[in-house]
Amino acid sequence: MDLASIVYLGMTFGLLVIFVMIVVRTYSKKRKDEGEIAKYRMLDDD
Amino acid sequence: MENQTYNYAIVRSFVTWSMIWGLVAVLVGVIVSLQMVNPDLNFPPYLTFGRLRPVHTNAGIYGWGIGVIFAAFYYIVQRLCKVPIWSDKLAKFQLWLFNATITASAVTLLLGYTTSKEYHEMEWPIDVMVVILWVAFSINIIMTILKRKEEQMYISLWYMMAAIVGVAILYLVNSAAVPVSFFKSYSAYAGTNDANVQWWFGHNAVAMVLTAPFLGMFYYFLPKTTGVPIFSHRLSITAFWSLIFMYLWTGAHHLLWTPVPDWIQTLAMGFSIMLIAPSWGSVFNGYLSMNGQWHQMRENYLVKFLILGITFYGLQTLQGPMQAIRTFSAFIHYTDWVPAHIHMGTMGWVSMICFASIYYLIPRIYGRELYSIPLADLHFWLTLVGQLIWSISLWIAGVLQAGMWNAMNSDGSLTYTFMETMVEMYPYWWARVLGGVIYMAGLVIFIYNIYMSVKKGEPTAVPTITTEGRA
Amino acid sequence: MWEKKPILLLVLATCAIMVGTIVTMILPFAWVNTEADRIEGVTPYTALQQEGRDIYIRDGCNNCHTQTVRPLVPEVLRYGDYSKSGEFVYDRPFLWGSKRTGPDLARLGGKYPDAWHYKHMESPRSMVPKTNMPDYGWYSNNLLDPQMIQRKMETLGFPYTAEEIKDLEGKNDMDAMVAYLQKLGSDIPWRDAAETTIVGDLVNPYADANQETISGWAPIYADNCAACHGPNMEGEIGPELIGEDYDDEILFTIIYTGITDGGMPSFSNLGTDKVWKLTNYIRTYQAEGSQ
Repeated sequence: MDLASIVYLGMTFGLLVIFVMIVVRTYSKKRKDEGEIAKYRMLDDD
Repeated sequence: MENQTYNYAIVRSFVTWSMIWGLVAVLVGVIVSLQMVNPDLNFPPYLTFGRLRPVHTNAGIYGWGIGVIFAAFYYIVQRLCKVPIWSDKLAKFQLWLFNATITASAVTLLLGYTTSKEYHEMEWPIDVMVVILWVAFSINIIMTILKRKEEQMYISLWYMMAAIVGVAILYLVNSAAVPVSFFKSYSAYAGTNDANVQWWFGHNAVAMVLTAPFLGMFYYFLPKTTGVPIFSHRLSITAFWSLIFMYLWTGAHHLLWTPVPDWIQTLAMGFSIMLIAPSWGSVFNGYLSMNGQWHQMRENYLVKFLILGITFYGLQTLQGPMQAIRTFSAFIHYTDWVPAHIHMGTMGWVSMICFASIYYLIPRIYGRELYSIPLADLHFWLTLVGQLIWSISLWIAGVLQAGMWNAMNSDGSLTYTFMETMVEMYPYWWARVLGGVIYMAGLVIFIYNIYMSVKKGEPTAVPTITTEGRA
Repeated sequence: MWEKKPILLLVLATCAIMVGTIVTMILPFAWVNTEADRIEGVTPYTALQQEGRDIYIRDGCNNCHTQTVRPLVPEVLRYGDYSKSGEFVYDRPFLWGSKRTGPDLARLGGKYPDAWHYKHMESPRSMVPKTNMPDYGWYSNNLLDPQMIQRKMETLGFPYTAEEIKDLEGKNDMDAMVAYLQKLGSDIPWRDAAETTIVGDLVNPYADANQETISGWAPIYADNCAACHGPNMEGEIGPELIGEDYDDEILFTIIYTGITDGGMPSFSNLGTDKVWKLTNYIRTYQAEGSQ
């Protein structure tokens, strides 16, 4: 494997890890209510 | 009631001016489409295709698109933050500067003062005006959010904030130039570097002007119209981070097969494909928000505009990545397929959301109901039909011309000369004129309907407006 | 966390935006337009050429014409050698464009004689009847501003002489435009390298064609030759063809390969069949002119 492939692969893997972290954090049970409250609150302003 | 101090005057002004610039953009669009079929309609030096086309694109993107963004977000940010905008004076200044900038752009472009960079043609003094304009808007929005009384920040605010920094970075970097005089400058970058910077700007202007704020508007106006919350706020957040991260890698898909280094092209191609995910995250979020509410498509004209808008967004974000694939780009790039693609985004997605936003705002900022719902329905159908004729005819034209450009004889020579391929385009260019005229008819009806609503609309049942905050 | 903190959200959004920006927009400056990109023979524009380029920008020619040939077979056949990064190092801004309503112009320089361009810019439809390109005859009425052009050369840091600036007196937009168009893509000697070679014996496949068949090929002449050699072969930009008497092989070769230094473009991209038809058509009618 040449250097370019290693860089590409490493980058892909790094991005995947960050993405999984965001998804896990956003969708954790603990944060369910916290994550969804804004969409109800925005309806009350009238 | 706290909303008594909301500043709706500024929203009203931006709505009015954006509609005026929208009409200018479409009218000039129809004129240049006629110049394409009949060169005698060029009136040199000022009214030639080469000078009018940038007027069309810039009036559309900056006058109409950004005008509606200013209107919608001055409304949205006050409602979501439950506080009036931070500075009425700054907003007023911004309104005047906005109109001065768009006017100056149109005049200087016709006079031939241009950098030639697509969607960034204006010369450096106007760049300075744009920067001041954007800073004024950014400060007002950010300060309002900082002083908000509602703790939660709804996704619409996220998209607007990302667009605020995104536009600032893009515009400043691509503006860099060395002035020769007040009306002429040379790019700070040369050749291949200049191309790469320009399309990093060009494609991300689509992201930060024609995508992020409009997703924010869609996420706000859809639940407000249907009365039910969006399907998932967390999905919108996941899509948000993915979208603003990935878009910036994709500019070079406009430069496939050019001397720009291959690895940049490859990255652009890969990230363009990946962008389907966050784009369709928003599309699904919109569709799933309609669960149990699909009957509103029939009953509520606003829902039609919003759902057709997000549908065009979904189609646009599938077609775009296809075009970003090297082999497909080799075939289709530089043909009329490309304007067909762009116009599905601008006439379909962006303008549908603009129309819905203005229809939604009118009763709330003027205290008067819409003058005529049948006219709004007619406007919807003219918009849809005009758009479809426009894009479909030029997709066919693009495939036809690409096929002719690539056709080869058995002895390895080309089958057609360039002119033989060009003359085949005329019928499709006429179809485009037709599509544009139908679309413009819809726009005129829309403006008439809005005007009549303001003049003669029934007062809204619950007054949502007070005299305070009027300018 | 950032869900309720707008400043933090702004900072994080900026970071997200900057990653792709740094990798695909800022880093490439390390590799592009460096010494490795340099191509011998690529020179800055002269004062007249640069002014032509600025007129090209002023009138938005880039809205309809591209200036980059992609490394694809039909494209190289149609326009010439594919574009290289080093050819554009003096281009501020780049003018690659995004739409080919008209043909690509990256390799236009040297394809036609100056006279062709003057006539074509004046009235494109007089030479290419069905084109939708507007007339630019008004260029001839616009005198250049030598002082301004000198300032532009200073700003760009391009070499120029006082004499060169003085020569701009009395010249107009048209002269500048033609000078620019003739420079396009001609800094590398691709035309010599790409010269068409004919392999094998030349045999006229239509040697036995009758008069009627041959007269049916008139449109090929009208579309490709008449603009320069006149609708009746009486000559204009190119020489008169009436009375010339080349044999089949020589005439075919001239049309097919062109005369690189003589202003006659190669028509090899029409294919051997059409070039043989032209050869027969011209030979049949050159006694009296085509009718």
